[in-house]
Formats: sequence, structure tokens, C-alpha cells
Amino acid sequence: MNNRLLLIVMLGFCMCFNTAWAGETLKIGFNAPLTGFAASDGKSSSFGAKLAVKQINENGGINGKNLELVIYDDQAKASQSIPIANKLIGQDKVVVGISGSYSGPTRSAAGIFQEAGIPYISAYAIHPDITKAGNYVFRTSFLGEVQGRAGAKLIGEILGKKKVVMITLKNDFGKSLAAGFKEKAKTFGITIINEYEYSIKDRQFGAIVAKVKSDNPDAIYASGYYFTAGPLVSQLRASGITVPVIGQEGYDSQKFIEIAGKAAEGVIITTSLDRDSLSPETKDFIKNFEELAGYKADMVAASAHTAVQVAALAIEKAKSTDPEKIRAALAGISLKASTGTIEFNSLGEVRKSVQNQVVKNGQWHHHSVIDDPELLAPPEK
Amino acid sequence: MGLYEISLATVVGINIILAVSLNLITGYCGQISLGHAAFYGIGAYTAALLAKIGWPIYLTLGAGFFLAGIAGAVIGLTSLRVREDFLAIVTMGVAFLFVGIVRQQEFLGGEMGISGIPSPGMTKPAYLCLVLIIALLAILFSWYVKRSWMGYAFDAVADDEQTAKTLGLDIKSYKITAFAMGTAMAGLAGGLYAYYTRFIIPDAFGFIQSITILSMVAVGGIGSIFGVVLATIFLSLMPEIFRFINDYKLLLYGILLFSVMRFAPDGLAGFYKLLYKKRNLR
Amino acid sequence: MLYIELFIQGLIQGSTYAIIAVGLTLVYGLLRVLHVAHAGLFTLGAYLGVVVTNQTGSLAAGILLAAIGSGVVGMAIYRLVYEPILNRPPHVALIASIGLYIGMEELFRLVFGPFGLSFASAPLQSVVIFFDIHLRTCQIVTMITNILLLGILAWISQRTRIGIGWRATVDDPEISACFGIDPVRVRYLVFFMGSALAAVAGVLVALLSNFVEPTMGAVPSYKSLAIIVLGGLGNVTGTLIASLALGIIEAFGTIYIGNFLDRDAIAFAFLIVVLMIKPTGLFASR
Repeated sequence: MNNRLLLIVMLGFCMCFNTAWAGETLKIGFNAPLTGFAASDGKSSSFGAKLAVKQINENGGINGKNLELVIYDDQAKASQSIPIANKLIGQDKVVVGISGSYSGPTRSAAGIFQEAGIPYISAYAIHPDITKAGNYVFRTSFLGEVQGRAGAKLIGEILGKKKVVMITLKNDFGKSLAAGFKEKAKTFGITIINEYEYSIKDRQFGAIVAKVKSDNPDAIYASGYYFTAGPLVSQLRASGITVPVIGQEGYDSQKFIEIAGKAAEGVIITTSLDRDSLSPETKDFIKNFEELAGYKADMVAASAHTAVQVAALAIEKAKSTDPEKIRAALAGISLKASTGTIEFNSLGEVRKSVQNQVVKNGQWHHHSVIDDPELLAPPEK
Repeated sequence: MGLYEISLATVVGINIILAVSLNLITGYCGQISLGHAAFYGIGAYTAALLAKIGWPIYLTLGAGFFLAGIAGAVIGLTSLRVREDFLAIVTMGVAFLFVGIVRQQEFLGGEMGISGIPSPGMTKPAYLCLVLIIALLAILFSWYVKRSWMGYAFDAVADDEQTAKTLGLDIKSYKITAFAMGTAMAGLAGGLYAYYTRFIIPDAFGFIQSITILSMVAVGGIGSIFGVVLATIFLSLMPEIFRFINDYKLLLYGILLFSVMRFAPDGLAGFYKLLYKKRNLR
Repeated sequence: MLYIELFIQGLIQGSTYAIIAVGLTLVYGLLRVLHVAHAGLFTLGAYLGVVVTNQTGSLAAGILLAAIGSGVVGMAIYRLVYEPILNRPPHVALIASIGLYIGMEELFRLVFGPFGLSFASAPLQSVVIFFDIHLRTCQIVTMITNILLLGILAWISQRTRIGIGWRATVDDPEISACFGIDPVRVRYLVFFMGSALAAVAGVLVALLSNFVEPTMGAVPSYKSLAIIVLGGLGNVTGTLIASLALGIIEAFGTIYIGNFLDRDAIAFAFLIVVLMIKPTGLFASR
């Protein structure tokens, strides 16, 4: 009888100990499209986030506690991201929220986080109004306009090409890239001969390719994602067009090279991940990501990874879970991540340099860097 | 009730208004509309734009209601020229045309959508009450129409258009009225959605959304208000209920749609009637 | 020269539409069912084609297995999904088909992953140049396949007993049953052939873009519906002409009114305009 009692007391003690231990995690909320049409980006971004959490915990956690990633699937819809945001804040009591999702759901969730006074970081959603939700919202990736401006410098100055045809993806990403590009085209001596638009569902570009060929440009500035850019570039090359094709971080994935094959050779993109980087943060990320996920890192994964690291560093610097202190820490942060040195301006937009990558022998490699702070300055309000 | 439950309930409420409004068109008048989300979108965009220039919420919602209704009347007119199967495809065309046109217009926000939609000017729980009251009104209105003379006329049109014509029923007006009533309600739901998400993009009102609404009506049982409301609640909460098998929840949704149509084609309502009949026979 | 090239590109695109839409219109002509899940068979064919070709190195094997695989699944779909609900109002089959399509899309994602598949080394990519127009072999093959398949279909339906039997069943199932034609056999045949055709279209599209993804059937699913309406429901020749016409309109449309309407909207605008003028479609069969 006494033995039984002792056992029960010990079990009870262990249980208390367990729940107490379970309470010792710092929760980071993460919404991503794990199912639905955007599932590929959801998968990559969540892998990137999970890797960051794993690495941080292996290094002893933050302020003595482990990080816990709370992931919910929002299917890239605002009608789901809003309840999820409320759930993360109200039920899971996350310290920071991160969006691994698209602009629509991110913008709506950002409003919820701002109202609740919990910091929210957009990993890769590019809509400019996301950070306008308030001072608790930050973004670790480029604004479309900023990247577009960099594209203009890349083509006009670095490559020295002047007659450009634009092929623009019809969504917020493509449109904002185009806007930034057009804004700075004249500065770098570029004449835009024509602009053609295509839908995110298109995979056959026969008509556009034929027209671009007859336009005879010096270079092509094409926005898209790996699943549109891959077919587009291969069809451009197959039709005999040999001029340089310049893309952006939407291409940034090994899948682009797989789809386009030889046609991918020589394609240059503006992005943030330098595969040839000597920086340990980047090399580390690339190697560990492939180990964890089983495929080569892409831009979306790198962005999510960076966002988690930024959040973790902010919590560490704040030395508390007080959202206001974390927000202040975020505002003044400076972190060297795989996607560059992350620092925010007063709107919560990131200021970092642009890494240009080129496809050589079936792999992404370093091409050049654009570091012009005036050119790359994101808006302050 | 925490903010989480309130935000979920608000989505459910908006979906109920949408489903009930489609039920009016499809269920009562037998016309399959695959473009219902376009009217949802018209209401949302109208309310959003007017709200941003300072109109108060009741006016913006009303404007969305009327504009969507007028658009519905116009589409209703076109539906006269084509037969049932064609109607489905024409309404599908409406769905794509709406999104295709909206995304190109800068004044409608284009691809960037409309953000910074002002708050409805009430607390979240109060807003939920507003949504639920409107949902209740929508349900009561549907119920009233069903029982009224108009309802019998709608049934006749749905059952056998030719015969109804011979009986002297003015098919034209009934069809257009049904369409307009349904689309107006959808427009109202759209306005409520705009105030809820505070940020709207064209893609939220496309063909896929139209199918989602139609599924709620079909699973509930076309024509049955009770069934449709029940099905809507369940399907809207499905993503939350099935979070534990998250990777499979869309697959489950597809299987559910298919199974209901295959084994209980009259939807939940038919299923319920079956049970009821069985009990009575004993 | 540009216009000729645009025209040819339109024909190529239209050919892929035609091969998919023919199966759909055959099913509709026979059963009055809007078989949305047809697009799932298209995707299945594409995946089978790529996987088999990558494993065996033979494109012919890929196409053959894709066609047979989809054909069999198509027949199963008829038996398990449509046969039990034939007497129901049309929305039942439509929603069931949509549910089936969603399920198939998800299965592709769960089995093959969301990132899509490509050929290990894509066949038929060599470029043929004539009069300064570059065409890849796969593009030429697509157009030829279209002509061949439809020629064969026309021959079967006009000159063979099976074909006549099938046309009779479409026209009047009861009377043809009296004449000893088994309507159920005809249905299995139609589903097999339509699905096999969809699979071939899938492999062709995979060759054209070197990319197969779970959602690739989404656009064909609704676009083929528009095409078969345009062509006159159940009318094979009409569907062929409507497909090619749509391909050409899209080709010119995306260039010249592309900043006013996107591709899908152009297709449906075309559809609505035609239906307003001729409410029974371009070529009504009845």
C-alpha cells in the first residue's frame, strides 16, 4: 500500500514537472498554404521555418527556452487566415507571428496582429500595404517595386542592354515588379519596346513568344514563378531567341532549372540567396536545408528561415516575452542571415542588397551584387 | 467567446447568406448558376470602394445589395435565351469575366486589390451579431418566398418550364426576379466580407468560390433551407474541424462532395427525410 | 509572318483543347453529363506518361500506358460514379464530378508532391525551322495527332459497325437497344476512348511545357466545358472547330487585348458573344 502511494506521488510529481516543462517553450505562430493551389510554397516555407527552429533549439534555444513553431494551414485564403490569426494570438498565445503565405491572407492577418499588439513578420508576401497595417508588422523580403528597380539597373547598367521587352505576370508580384522596373528604366537608358501580360495559370506561351521574336529586343525582363518561368524560358529559347532573359526571386528554385533544362543556362535573376556565398550563414542554410527537406533550397524557404531567425533574435534581445519590447527589438535589429543583412526602416520594410544569380552548368551561381541604398530604399510610409 | 470563435462564426454567417441566396436561384427556380461569386464580388467591391470614400456601413452594404441585384437582373435577362445546361456555362463565363475585368481596372485596385478598408465601426462581437441577424433575415425571407405564391411559381418553373408556360405563368419575370433576389443577397454578403477581411483581391470571387457555394447548396439539398444552412455550417467549419488531418482535408472534401451526390443526391435534406419516413413507417 | 506564326500557335493550342474536348463531348452526347472529372484523367495521363517515360526511356511506352491507364480509370468512373446517378437532375452529376476532380487533384499532390514533375530528358524537343518559323517537334506532333485522331474517330463512327452502333445509341438508346446494340457496352467504349484521348493530350502538354503538376487539369476542366457548348453539345466536328477557333482567338487575344482581359476571360467572352448570337452554339446537333 505504501509502495502504491509512493508511486502515485512520484507519477504526480513527474506530471507536474512535465507540464511545467511543456510551458517552457516560446511559441512562434506560422500560417502557410499547406493545401490548395499554393501548396508548393507552403511546403517550402514551412520547411524553412522548421529548419530555423530546429537549429535554434539545438543551439540552446532563446533565453533558456526552446522555440515551438505552431503551424496552421490557411490555403492562401483570407477567410482562413483571420481565424488562424485569432487562434494563434488568443489560444496558442504566440509571442510572434510569421506569415509563410501569400499577400491576401497575410494582409488580413496582419491587421489582426496589429490590433492585438503582437509582432507579425511577412516572410515573402510582397503586397506593399502589408506593412502599412501598423508598426507591429515587418517584412523580411523585398518589396516588388524595389526588386523591379534593381532589375532595371541590372539590365541597363550592369548588362548594358537598352531595348527591353517586358513579359509580366498578372498578379500583385508581377505588377509591382513591372512598376518598379518602369520607374527606373529611363535612369538606366532602357527603352521598353512592349509589355505583354500572362496569367498565373498559363504554361503555353506560343503567342507571346512569337510576338517577342518579332519585336527583336536586346533583353527580356520576365516576371513569374518557377512553374511559369520554366516553360516560358524554354519556349523562348526553342523559338530561336538568344538575348538575355532576366527574372526575379520567383524563379529562384532548382525546379526552374529542371523544367527549362538547357534553356535555363545564362538566365539571370535578382534575388537574395547567393549560392556561392562564402558567408557561413548562407552556406550553412543551403546545406542543412537540403538535408532536412530532401531538395535544394528555394527563395521561399530561405525567406521563412530568415523570418524565424529575425524573430528569435528579437526575442533574445528583448529578454522578455513582452510584445512591445519584442517589437522595439525588431525595429532596431541587425541580423546577418542567408538572405542578407536584415535591417528594417521605419515602415518595417527591409533594407538589404540584391544578389544577382545566374544559371551556369545547371546550377545557380553568383553573378553580381546591387548595393545602391538610394535605389533600393523602400518607402518610409 | 474568444476572438477566434467570433471570427469563425462570422465567416459561417457570411457563408450562410451566400448559400441561402444561391439556393433561391438554383433551388427554387431550378437554374444552375456557376457564377454566383461574381455577385458576391460586386457587393464586396462596391462596399469597399464606398467605405473608403467615407460612406457609412449601412449605405455601403445597401449599395452593394442593389448593384448586385441589378447585375443579376441583367444576367437573368440573358438566361432567357439559353437552356439549362447552357445557363451553367454562361454563368461560369460571368465568373471568369468578372475576375478578368476587375483585375485590369486600376480604379478597382487591379491585381493589388483594395486594402485599408475601414473598420465597420463596431466591436467584433457586435459585427458578428449584425452578420447573424442578416443571415437570419435571409433565411426567413427564403422561407417566406417558399411558402408564398411566388414560391409555387418558382417550383413550377423548376419542375417543368414548358408546362408552367402553358399555364400562363410569366416565366420571364419569375426567372429574372429569382436571379435578382439571389444576387442581391450575395452582394450583401460581399459587403459584409469586405468589412471582415479589410482587404479584397479579385481572386477571392472567382470560379472556385462559385463552386464552393454551389457545393454547400448541393450537399444541403437544393431547395431545402434547413439542409443548406446545416451543410454550410459544416463545410465552413471543415478546415478547422479537420486540422488534425490537415494534409488530407481537401481530399476529404472532394470525397464528401462526391459521396453525398452519389449516395444521397437530395443532400442532407433528403437524408433527413429518409430517416423521418423510416421512423414513421414503424 | 507574325500573323502566320500566331495562327500556327493558335492551332497548336487549339489541338490540345480539341483532343481533350472530344472525349467530353462524346460523354455528354451519350449521357447528358458534364464530366468535369475528365480533366483529372488528363492529368493522370500526363503523370503516367512522364513517370513511365522516365523509367523506361521510351516515350511510346509512356503514351501507351498513359492511354490505357486513363482509359481503364475512365471506365471505372463511369461504373462507380455516373451509372448509379443517371436519372438524377443534372446538378448531381456535375457536383459529383467536381468532387471527384478535387479528390483526384489532391491524390496527385499527395502521391507525387506539390512541386510537379518534368521529363528526365524531354523527348521531341528538337527544333524544325521553315520560313524562319521555329517549331519544336512536339508542337508538330500535337497538330498531327489532332488531325489523325479525329480522322480516325470520324472513320470509326461512319464506316465501322461499332461506330454506327455508337451513333445510334447517342441518337436513340431505346430503339438501338431493340436492334441488339448494347448501350452499356457503348458507354464503356466511349469512356475508355474519351479518357485515353485525354491522357494523350496530357502527355502532349507535358512535352510542350516539360512540366506536370497536380493542378494542370484545372484550366482544361472548365475550358473544355465552354468548348463543347460552343461546338454544339455532342457534336464532334463542331467541337473540333470550336477548339481550333478558340486556340486562335486566344493567341491573338493575349497579344492584342491581353492588357484588357486575361486568357480565360477572352475564352468566355468569345463564348458568351457566340451564345448571344446563336443560343444553341456554333453547330447545334439537335
